[in-house]
Amino acid sequence: MSMKQEFGDIWVGEKDLNRDEDFIKSAQNEIQNPSLVESLGESEAVQDMGGNRRDFLKMLGFGVGAATVAAGCDIPVKRAIPYVIKPEEIVPGVATYYASTYVSGGESCPVLVKTREGRPIKVEGNDMSPITHGGTSARVQASVLSLYDTNRLKNPTIGGEAVSWDDLDSKVMSALSSARGIRVVSHTVISPTGRRAMADFAAKYGNVELVEYDAVSSAAILEANEKSFGDRVIPNYHFDKADLIVSFNADFLGTWISPVEYEHQYAKNRVVDDVHHAHLSKHVQIEAQMSMTGSNADNRILVKPSQQGEAIKYLYGKVTGASAGSSALDAGVKKSLDGLAAQLKSHTGKSLVVSASNITSEQLLINAINSAVGSYGSTISFNNASLQRQGDEKGLLKLVQEIKSGAVDAVIFNNCNPVFEYSFLSGLTEAIDGVKTSVALSYDINDTTSLCDAVAPTNHYLESWGDVEAKRGQVSVVQPTISQLFDTRQGELSLLTWAGAAPEGDQPYYEYLKSSWQSTFFGGQSKYLSFNSFWDQSLSDGVFSYGGGSSAGEFTFDGAAAIRSIGKAASSEIEISFTEPITIGNGTHANNPWLHEMPDPVTRCAWGNYLTVPVGFDGVKKFKGFNGLSDGDLAKVTIGGATYTLPVVQQFGQMPGTVSIALGYGRDKVGGAGKNIGVNVNGSIGMVDGRASYHAADVTVSKKVGKEQWYSSVQYHNTMGVTAENKKGEEINADEAALAEGYGNIFAGYQGSLVGRSIIRKTHVDNIEHAVEELIHEREHHQGLNAETLYPYDEYRKDKYEVGHHWGLHVDLNACTGCGACTIACMAENNIPVVGKKQVARHQEMAWLRIDRYYYGDVTNPNVVYQPMMCQHCDNAPCENVCPVNATNHSSEGLNQMTYNRCIGTRYCANNCPYKVRRFNWLDYTTADLFPANQVDVNEESVPFGADNLTRMVLNPDVTVRSRGVIEKCSFCVQKIQEGKLTAKVEGRQLRDGDIKSACQMACPTGALTFGDTNMKEGDFHDKLESPLNMIVLEEINVRSSVTYTMKVNNRDESLELS
Amino acid sequence: MSLKHIKVGLIGCFLLCFQLTWAQPSADSGKTLFKNYCATCHAKNMKTAGTGPALAGTQERWADYPREDLYGWIRNSQAMINAGHPRALELWSEWKPTVMTSWPNLTDDDIESILLYIDAVANAVPTASGPAGDVGPGGSSGGGGNYTWLYWILFAALGALALILMNYISGLNKLAAAKGNEVYVEKPLLRRIFSKPVVSLLILAAVIFGGYTTVTNAIHLGRQQGYEPDQPINFSHAIHAGENKIDCQYCHDGARRSKHAVIPATNTCMNCHSAIKNGRYFGTEELTKIYASVGYDPSKNSYIEDYDEMSQEDVKELYTKWITDQYLSDNEIDELDRKGTREVTRQIEGLISSLTNEQKKKIQGPIEWERIHNLPDHVYFNHAQHVVAGQVECQTCHGKVEEMEVVAQYAPLSMGWCINCHRETEVNFEGNEYYANYELYHEQLASGEKEKITVEDIGGLECQKCHY
Repeated sequence: MSMKQEFGDIWVGEKDLNRDEDFIKSAQNEIQNPSLVESLGESEAVQDMGGNRRDFLKMLGFGVGAATVAAGCDIPVKRAIPYVIKPEEIVPGVATYYASTYVSGGESCPVLVKTREGRPIKVEGNDMSPITHGGTSARVQASVLSLYDTNRLKNPTIGGEAVSWDDLDSKVMSALSSARGIRVVSHTVISPTGRRAMADFAAKYGNVELVEYDAVSSAAILEANEKSFGDRVIPNYHFDKADLIVSFNADFLGTWISPVEYEHQYAKNRVVDDVHHAHLSKHVQIEAQMSMTGSNADNRILVKPSQQGEAIKYLYGKVTGASAGSSALDAGVKKSLDGLAAQLKSHTGKSLVVSASNITSEQLLINAINSAVGSYGSTISFNNASLQRQGDEKGLLKLVQEIKSGAVDAVIFNNCNPVFEYSFLSGLTEAIDGVKTSVALSYDINDTTSLCDAVAPTNHYLESWGDVEAKRGQVSVVQPTISQLFDTRQGELSLLTWAGAAPEGDQPYYEYLKSSWQSTFFGGQSKYLSFNSFWDQSLSDGVFSYGGGSSAGEFTFDGAAAIRSIGKAASSEIEISFTEPITIGNGTHANNPWLHEMPDPVTRCAWGNYLTVPVGFDGVKKFKGFNGLSDGDLAKVTIGGATYTLPVVQQFGQMPGTVSIALGYGRDKVGGAGKNIGVNVNGSIGMVDGRASYHAADVTVSKKVGKEQWYSSVQYHNTMGVTAENKKGEEINADEAALAEGYGNIFAGYQGSLVGRSIIRKTHVDNIEHAVEELIHEREHHQGLNAETLYPYDEYRKDKYEVGHHWGLHVDLNACTGCGACTIACMAENNIPVVGKKQVARHQEMAWLRIDRYYYGDVTNPNVVYQPMMCQHCDNAPCENVCPVNATNHSSEGLNQMTYNRCIGTRYCANNCPYKVRRFNWLDYTTADLFPANQVDVNEESVPFGADNLTRMVLNPDVTVRSRGVIEKCSFCVQKIQEGKLTAKVEGRQLRDGDIKSACQMACPTGALTFGDTNMKEGDFHDKLESPLNMIVLEEINVRSSVTYTMKVNNRDESLELS
Repeated sequence: MSLKHIKVGLIGCFLLCFQLTWAQPSADSGKTLFKNYCATCHAKNMKTAGTGPALAGTQERWADYPREDLYGWIRNSQAMINAGHPRALELWSEWKPTVMTSWPNLTDDDIESILLYIDAVANAVPTASGPAGDVGPGGSSGGGGNYTWLYWILFAALGALALILMNYISGLNKLAAAKGNEVYVEKPLLRRIFSKPVVSLLILAAVIFGGYTTVTNAIHLGRQQGYEPDQPINFSHAIHAGENKIDCQYCHDGARRSKHAVIPATNTCMNCHSAIKNGRYFGTEELTKIYASVGYDPSKNSYIEDYDEMSQEDVKELYTKWITDQYLSDNEIDELDRKGTREVTRQIEGLISSLTNEQKKKIQGPIEWERIHNLPDHVYFNHAQHVVAGQVECQTCHGKVEEMEVVAQYAPLSMGWCINCHRETEVNFEGNEYYANYELYHEQLASGEKEKITVEDIGGLECQKCHY
């Protein structure tokens, strides 16, 4: 039977579809209250919590005593310590912004760093960048926390013993000068001046080679382009110019090459500006697991990982008409690809095909398809080609050989961790362990560093000078915003020092960088006559563009050879794909608790990696995960010979016969945050033609072997409005409801079901005008209901809210890709605590902004809509009138104000919030409390993150650090509102549209969020509020929310579906 | 009349007595009222002028007019000025544009109490020392207007009356019992005094009293009005801001652009003190501390290179030499006498103890001032908002700093104090383009519906204006 129509509406997960009793029960209770003994109860002292009269009296006595002692204390003397010599650019209390560039291997993002009293506390995108246009990602937002990582390497060491830099330098230099062959192993070197430094280093010692590789490899694209065009580079993709985007497993919105850039481009063609002439690009994703990019796609064609090559080959054959040989693909997939090929041909010059495959022949075929459909010169160019991936792990293979043969006896690792990332390369670990001289330039401890003799700790990018050329001709500057916190030295400078080429002075690398720019980029421009003015302007802007390279070379292609070398698809029953998580990368960011705490956009799981299994339908009424597994069960996965045990999450859209696991977890040589989080599966990554291939066949998955104790999935947390009631309005058991109505109607029409409520509205682009009419009609109906009120709302509105400002937020669900940059930006801006795996499992995550993920459409292959959900600042807020102490109330500017110092923690407000956006500080996450027993360890850190003075440097001094026992929630970044208003007042001018931007808005790479004043009659925000696609979530309950969402519009093509 | 009625009547008498005690004008209640309403602007010693005039002798100055005029003046001074009252006009011409806050809620008794208190303070013998404008004499000192003794007599009389009545009642009981041929056993006096109702009443009174004092005292926990700590340097605002008329914001340059007014960095001091090396009152004693903080060699008129790395002995030696040289040239002698040695040692020891503490072992580095104005962490206060946007004078909250030798906290910095000012203060509505989008208010101002727009009108009382 077809399930498409039966389950044609939205759902959050399997439990929702199955009307799981526990889930419904938990969805009805705002406050999840697992027993204290269960949740804290590892220690015996806590187990014995049975209270009695004596304990009560003891507590009472202690309480009174403590209060008396506290009251008797003198007010402590506080000191005001001014500068001795105040730097001119610092005004205490005022933020200073510096342009810099986030850089981590081949990843980069031009940013503006917000510093307060000399301490970086937040990074924002640099909107002068021609690449990112001011967008950021979750990793960029979280990078400021890693500056204050307590597990950083703090001083140089040799053999684990702390030494001085002079000692280290002399030892390393003497070892290097006697070495036969030296290799510098690094992720893609994206810095032109960094390359010069390495060249200087090589010139000094001779026999030095740079071994470049990437944490997740894209080497095949480089090789394919070298073969096709004679240019070993990733081309410049233009997703904004493509009407038809076909992606073979490339997670270009999440992790692939340059996601911030691509998201910005992609969203341009996904936003509906004019409903009467709506134009949407069509995005087809061919993959097995549900990636974030796939979740945004209109159509997903499900193909097993090992059949990607077959699928590319088949599409190539159909598009070019060349003979592509026989195909092992299913008939249904073939039919879909036939349709796709026809559409590609009709979209000549307006389509773009990309693939994440790391097999050269497959990439050659992709090039051939793109060439055949006229992508080159339109949607792909070699002008401003990307330099973000230049690595090839074949170099690592060669390195192993060279070490074994003795040709190389000194290796320098430049901030990389091949021992973890390429643990599947046989002999790598042994070779590195056995090499005579091994030196690590490293920021923190990792698996590779721990094998090295000498460790030269490097700076954070916020402490470094440097430059980045992410795309040819588009350069940005890395500028330090704080002096080194510890006895570290940036990697390039270490190399220069060992080469004896470091300039003199306090900041040698700064001098080196400047002279490098003078001799290169300064000559490449004609705007500035003196180098100093050019340099000053570049530092101030943070970015600089010049020419930018070549056009595409002649396309040469040997189709027959490429087709011949396409590998055979595997025949095993189950296949697995390994995916790079959008949060921590391939373990690179494994010590960043903000990133661990952010749930994966698709699986909605935090703190670890999970086995995603397909969801099966028993044909009657129940959905069940593969092998009878359900969420949170532990299962054993055997891949090749290796067995891993990890928790399961049932993933809609996961192809039957496939499973998937995220990479990067389970590092054991790591600081407190990442320790023993998840399972390391890097050893099972496959290899094809000497390159990593991120999937494997020969997989078996066991039945349930246990239950994950702390299953930190937020999928079913804070679910809005899931109750089952019958038509008389009585609350009834969901099963009874199902029996009474027949399962086809379970999801529709119930008061309180996701469907019956206006939480998400979506439509097909062809149907948009009709949907808008329906929406208008429905909104009129809601507003009609709302008009029947005892309160003279309109009068109040006129006298209060329409005077001065009234703040609001517009969220364009068509632009939102779910990437989570806003979530982390919100945590950074508002001092939101990290609570850790256990507390997340107990429904106690603190994020003010969550991104709800809803499925809709076809149950076997659903579409997804992401909905950023934060406090809606209702003008008729249900939370406000239940507070017994008036700690939450309404401002004349329409803000729902939360006053922490008044809150007594009854949580009535949270219980009464229909959007479930209020968070309670169950424990003392930020150690504002006096009593250590209330503090909470997030993971295996020595001091709770919030208690460590180093970590606390990241706190925003304009936002109160909340103590235990109070409610908190989104404030619309009231500190930014106040700051913006004050600036306008001081300047004696009116507030302008865009003066005040919330943290989430500033972080968003696609412009999905727009903050503004609803009373302002012009500007971007006003225009967005006029869109006919706008809707208010739960408008029917008349809470008068200030957040407006748009209807989700998709462009799903039924002709590409399996029939 | 039954026994019960008499008892109830007695208790009632007591309560009435208390009630009377509180309702009568008294210097004690005047003190509380003065603190709550007047002390923000009027000096507590009644003899120096603050933001408002000194209050000693108020009654005499108003003696020519009916008492009601004085009441009216205190409740709403602007109305009196507009009405053309001669005394009001006289005051206005002297003090304008400072407007006295209106207190329409004060009763005649309240005002009398305040006046009593003013007289009590004004007529008290002044305390021996202490800078002007600081501590007034305690409320307990005797003098006219204090009637506490009267209440004690009344209390004792009523107590005696109660005992007599009790005795009388027991006599009656005895008679009644005798009539009914019963034997009446008289309870001893103590048993009668500590009978259940009396004890319950006492406990109740104790709980109410305890609760009241706990709450009133708890409200004042953490408040530091009048806080006047010794600072590491005897810096006198009276000399700098008062006599030399240096603008507040020359040194506190954050006030116009930041939330912090900013304690000036040592190099701000050096703008002047690289030239002025001898203070008027303290000579080299205080100024050398600045040099030792920043590393300036006053004898060579130059900054010392690598001052941070200099040993403590060298620093000490350098500035000892400077102080000695100055002493010698001031006294026109060639060698230190015993007094001179003592003086130099005293100064250098003072310097070291001022610039070092348990955390800061080195003389070099910042001067660690004791912070006077402390707001709780959950309060956001922005100087630029008040100084630039609100055009509030520094003195409104900080008092006449230009007259203070040692700075003391002038305002209570309590939330009630903030809120009150936000209620009263008019916003410069027409003068700032920012407010143009408050169209309704502009209409109401034009039509005369509203006289002025206060901070309250634009949301100045809302929680998240200050707490976020």
